[in-house]
Amino acid sequence: MAQLDYAHLLLLIGAVLVLAGILSSLIANRFGAPLLLVFLVVGMVAGDERVAGFKFSNLFLTYLVGSAALAVILFDGGLRTRFARLKGALAPAGVLATLGVPITALVVAAAAVPLFGMSWTEGFLLGAIVASTDAAAVFFLMRSGGLQLKPRVSAILEVESGTNDPVAVFLVILATEMLLASGETLGLEAIALKLAIQIVVGGAVGYAGGYGLVWLLNKVELPGGLHPIFVLASALFLFAIAALVHGSGFLAVYVAGLMIGNKPVRAFPSIAGFHDGATWLAQIVMFLVLGLLASIDNLMRYALPAVLVAAVLMLVARPVAVALCLTPFRFSLKEMTFVSWVGLRGAVSIFLAAIPMLAGVKGAEVYFNIAFFIVFLSLIIQGWTIPTAARRLGLALKRTTPEVHRVELDLPGQTNQEMAGYPVTEDSPVMRERALPAWARLVLVVRGGAILDAASAGDLRPNDYAYLLVPPTKVPRLDRLFAPGHEERPVFGDLAIDPSIKMADLVAFYGIEIEADEVELSLAEFIEAREGGSAELGDRITLGPVSLVVRGMDGDSITKTSLHLADLDFDFDAPPKKATLAGRLLKRLARLGRKPAV
Amino acid sequence: MDLSDLLSLEAVVPALKANSKKQVLQELAGRVAAQIGLPEREIFDVLQQRERLGSTGVGHGVAIPHGKLARLPKLTGLFARLEKPVDFEAIDDLPVDLVFMLLAPEGAGADHLKALARIARVLRDSSIAQKLRASTDPVALFTVLTQPISSHAA
Repeated sequence: MAQLDYAHLLLLIGAVLVLAGILSSLIANRFGAPLLLVFLVVGMVAGDERVAGFKFSNLFLTYLVGSAALAVILFDGGLRTRFARLKGALAPAGVLATLGVPITALVVAAAAVPLFGMSWTEGFLLGAIVASTDAAAVFFLMRSGGLQLKPRVSAILEVESGTNDPVAVFLVILATEMLLASGETLGLEAIALKLAIQIVVGGAVGYAGGYGLVWLLNKVELPGGLHPIFVLASALFLFAIAALVHGSGFLAVYVAGLMIGNKPVRAFPSIAGFHDGATWLAQIVMFLVLGLLASIDNLMRYALPAVLVAAVLMLVARPVAVALCLTPFRFSLKEMTFVSWVGLRGAVSIFLAAIPMLAGVKGAEVYFNIAFFIVFLSLIIQGWTIPTAARRLGLALKRTTPEVHRVELDLPGQTNQEMAGYPVTEDSPVMRERALPAWARLVLVVRGGAILDAASAGDLRPNDYAYLLVPPTKVPRLDRLFAPGHEERPVFGDLAIDPSIKMADLVAFYGIEIEADEVELSLAEFIEAREGGSAELGDRITLGPVSLVVRGMDGDSITKTSLHLADLDFDFDAPPKKATLAGRLLKRLARLGRKPAV
Repeated sequence: MDLSDLLSLEAVVPALKANSKKQVLQELAGRVAAQIGLPEREIFDVLQQRERLGSTGVGHGVAIPHGKLARLPKLTGLFARLEKPVDFEAIDDLPVDLVFMLLAPEGAGADHLKALARIARVLRDSSIAQKLRASTDPVALFTVLTQPISSHAA
């Protein structure tokens, strides 16, 4: 009977921990503290010997839970990434995820070797452990708080964090092996080959698995409710299979997630909804367990070296790696600064630090404690300042995605229409506009407890609950329309301008001033040139009293532009401003800064 | 400065008949030609030229066709309420039934842009648009369009 009680006690402790994590998040929200940090702290406090009365030190369990959680998180990350957003980000993110990791590790090693008297292999192990950005942290922190970044920047960070783990895992295992079999070192070609196999096999398993899953989901009749579980189990299956055949399991699940998220799949709303919850649970459990593993006393002993390594990592290693990897892709200094700063470290690093401990490397707790401390610092310092950094660097789009409470309903057998339900609030754009876009069809309205069809409901009213048929791709646009208090930047008042027209025509019509060598460009070319090579949705170039706005993109090319002039009206009666010499110089300088780096 | 500087009572057309965007522009050019004494063809061409850069349908059923004319003495506006909405290839794809045409002298520069902004601002106001759609009386339409800024500032 004692065994039974023990099981119940364990369940109780586990449930209390998760509940404590969730409830503390309510408090943390008030301070804007990163939630992941809260879970980590709850785990640390609960795992302290003085609180729990014993020390949790099961590395194997940690590794198991961590792997499964990370697989779920990466899969979900893939599921939510749209292919369209990846265009233009794939190559730079790929370079950052492959070359960037060893560069970061080497710079950290170069600092650690003289600082702590480590050998180069030991220094490199430390560097590799903290070299990869964390998908859980990046996905989470970039999507919370309603921050919407320029698509290219956020796509790079997400893809990088989703794909650099295999490289880091690989480097850590490599350094661990070298430390265990001291003296025996692998040639550079052998290392490169091993890494290539990891990436190719992982990618292939993910691609084939994702493809197969899409096919199965659309073909096989599963009993209702089993779709999401089937997908989750399949993701874990792909992760394990890829890892067993020497591929990268992390890469495999990420790619599989990408495939499923970007192809029409039956029951997608229920899959996505379920994975939303599963990912939350995975985040909470992973950070809790890692927190449990850490001992506050041990951590404090390594505080000074950890702070030093963190400083080197955040201020030198990451910026160097980003600059080396992204400069060839003509990123602006601001964009590179931001990408450097959002090199969030998270559970992956702690998890990687457990590898040398599991393998029995001597003095391995050094890596663990330093890595833990660095993750802590990264979540606090970098995690907390992402929105500020984005705004300061001018990379946050004005249009932020607000919280909207959407209900998605799966329409069996349908892949190009789904049903979405929204509460209608007085201050939402849909009430201001009093019209629905043509691609959305109102099906029914719940008003004051009565269920009305679209015809008898008439116009939507505040406190209604509206259910609409929409193509899944348009759901984000509908979210914005139903978001409470959300100021959609009015398109009204803008004049549509064909992006293919010559700038000379615009100059002739509106008397705007541009450089002589820009007159012959088309509008699209002009915007691209001024944006440093590539434009993005929402880019806005202000030319005296008017601005040119990118309103539509198809991949890399601009499909819709408009001339914005409504703001002019506010100084309608004010005399026209004469450009001062200083003002013109500043403008010149600003433009120089935007010129693509060569 | 409000819209009365651009618009006269004679330049308010309460129920314009037209079946297409081109017809709307032709009708507008025809009516304004008589008022300013410039050839209808020249005005129509200027408006067409501007539409080729992109539609001046700014959304919510409103269009602001405009252009510059060398021999025009001052900014000249003409407002028309269409009898039935026509497709104007507008930015939001909605058919257009309120049209405010603006012609500017060649050197108008900033004033031209300001006047456009002002027109857009007035017609953006949904209560004004509603009143314009509800009336066929030129005097009422003119009053709504030219009421002082303060009374309808958002």
